[in-house]
Amino acid sequence: MSTPDNARKPYHSRMTRDWWLQQRYYRLYMLREATVLPLLFFLGCLLYGLYSLQHSEMQWLSFAQFMQQGWVIALNALALLASLYHAKTFFALFPRVMPLAPPLLMVAGQWLASLAVIITLLWLAGVS
Amino acid sequence: MTEYQLRIQRYDPEQDDTPRLQRYTVSGDHTTSVLDALLSLQQQQDPTLALRWSCRMAICGSCGVMVNGIPKLGCKTFLRDYNGVIDIAPLAHFAVEKDLIVDMTPFLAHLSAIQPYLINDKDDKAPHKQTPAQLAKYQQFSNCINCGLCYAACPQFGLNPEFLGPAAITLAQRYNLDSRDNGKASRMSQLNGNNGAWGCTFVGSCSEVCPKQLDPAAAVNQAKVESAKDFIINLFKI
Repeated sequence: MSTPDNARKPYHSRMTRDWWLQQRYYRLYMLREATVLPLLFFLGCLLYGLYSLQHSEMQWLSFAQFMQQGWVIALNALALLASLYHAKTFFALFPRVMPLAPPLLMVAGQWLASLAVIITLLWLAGVS
Repeated sequence: MTEYQLRIQRYDPEQDDTPRLQRYTVSGDHTTSVLDALLSLQQQQDPTLALRWSCRMAICGSCGVMVNGIPKLGCKTFLRDYNGVIDIAPLAHFAVEKDLIVDMTPFLAHLSAIQPYLINDKDDKAPHKQTPAQLAKYQQFSNCINCGLCYAACPQFGLNPEFLGPAAITLAQRYNLDSRDNGKASRMSQLNGNNGAWGCTFVGSCSEVCPKQLDPAAAVNQAKVESAKDFIINLFKI
């Protein structure tokens, strides 16, 4: 005779590898997470630049030449766009994690602070 | 009256090894909810259809189903908002017992694991007074109806069923933020681990699907801040 316990046969579904393709919301999430990929390339360039700087003048010139190639500029531009998109998502989420002020004010404040940092860096680099 | 096409995921544990899809046609008007449609199907066309429901007014949290792949309360979702065939399936990331009924045991276990009650050593019988400002700190997180939609939306829970999940961590935050509660220290051990707040990667879909707009994703990530503070404070404790 079957008891309620052994009459059970729960069906366990498994998540497929493409779970993140099935909803727009998940796709946007994965896009946010994927912004790190072009950033890795940018970090590689940065490390290569630092290495070239301390190695020799020739090495530095070859680094400068490398950086002027079309595909390098394109990948770095992609890294910039990806970082801006990540910043947009991060700035929007931050007021929910630390509700210190009205959300709109916090988002605007973060963009203004980023702008201030960029202007300061450009000023330090001597761009007028 | 309009005719609506439904494609419902069926699973009979006594006959099926895997779920199958069954198509139905129901008639309804602009007020017909998914739950209304399912109940009329059950009463008029197919009495074998199994589903869970109770209040019909988004209070009890029983009638959660996937509608076109998105977790929804059947009573709060209307056929008028959909075009074409509407797919109805049991809540994702839970084991299916029969048709649209899932086993909520893991969800309930996670809820109870975070000690969802006031913990207070005070012996006195005096009422625990609270100011409106103190109430406001946790009130938003206290509106959970335990429907489980956030678990069906959370890919981290789907990948790791040990993850405490949005509702449980929100409930922990609800009690940790309550001025009458002193139980935070005993809840932190649950929240600090990989299966606690840090298992969350802020996908944020829990907050999208929450029928009570609790913003569980915010609560979980606020718990991360608390967990980080707890870690630093413990570094200086001997």
